[in-house]
Amino acid sequence: MNDPDGPIPYMQRTRDYYLALGYGTPYRWAHFDDVPFAPLAKPLREARVGLITTAAPFQPGVGDQGPGAPYNAAAKFYQVYSGPTDTDPDLRISHVGYDRRHTSAKDINTYFPLARLREAVAAGRIGALAPRFHGAPTNRSHRTTTESDAPELLRRCREDGVDAVVLVPS
Amino acid sequence: MCHQTVSLVARHLEADGISTVIMGCAKDIVEHCGVPRFVWSDFPLGNSAGRPFDVESQREILESALRLLESAPGPRTTVPSRLSWSADTTWKRDYLDLAKLSPDSIAERRKEFDEVKAIARGKREGA
Repeated sequence: MNDPDGPIPYMQRTRDYYLALGYGTPYRWAHFDDVPFAPLAKPLREARVGLITTAAPFQPGVGDQGPGAPYNAAAKFYQVYSGPTDTDPDLRISHVGYDRRHTSAKDINTYFPLARLREAVAAGRIGALAPRFHGAPTNRSHRTTTESDAPELLRRCREDGVDAVVLVPS
Repeated sequence: MCHQTVSLVARHLEADGISTVIMGCAKDIVEHCGVPRFVWSDFPLGNSAGRPFDVESQREILESALRLLESAPGPRTTVPSRLSWSADTTWKRDYLDLAKLSPDSIAERRKEFDEVKAIARGKREGA
C-alpha cells in the first residue's frame, strides 16, 4: 500500500481506474533516462521570463466552463495559442481532469500565476516578463506534444527572447 | 495529462538552452517523465500555483520556483513546498477512488467517458 499521507500515486490510480471502467490497455506515461539541463545564463533580475499554461481561453457557446463545471471536452484546444501578458486573460480549466471535489477553480491565480509574476517584475526580482504567455494543448499522444506542440512553443519562446520559462499544469 | 504535457515541453525548451521550472501537484507523473526543475505542492490537482485566494501561498510557491531557476545544481531537482493543503489528509483518497463507485456508477462513468472522448475526437479532427 502507498503511504496515505505521501504523494498521490496518480499514474497507478489512473491505470486502475480505466481498467475498472473496462479499458484494457493501460496508458504508457512518458519516461526518459536522460534529462536536459541549461543553467540560467544571467541573473534573474536581468532575465526575461515566459509563462506556459495548460489552461484554455474561455469560449462562449461550448458549455459550462465555470468553477466546478463537469469535465468539458468541447472546451479543449488542439493548437498552441498565445496571449498578451499586459492584460488579464480569462482562462479556464474545465477541459482537464483537475480535482473537482477539492479544487474550487474560482481563483485563476491557483493555476495561472501571471499576477504574481508581474509582482516579481515590479519588485525587481526578475528582469521582465515575456510579452506573451503561451497555451500548451494537453494531448494523450506523447508524439503530438513532442513533435508538434513543443517545437511550436519553443519557436514562440524564441521569438519572445526569453531566458527562462515557468510552466504550470492545470 | 497536464503534468505530462508541461514535462515534455520543459524538456524540449531546456534541450534548446532555455531554463525551465515546473510548478505542479502530480509528483509521480513529472518525476517519471524526468524534468530539469520542479516545485512540488502536495495540493489537489488544479492548484499548482498556490491556494485559492491565498496570495501569500502563491507568492511563496513562485519564489521557490524562481530560486530553483537560480540555484538548481542539475537536472531532476525537485523542491517540495513546505505548505500543506489541509491538516486533514483524507482529500488524498478521493481522486479517482474506485472504492466509492458502485458497478452502476462505473458503467455510467464509462458511458460518459466514451461520450467526452467522441466530443474531443470531433474537435481534434476539426482543429
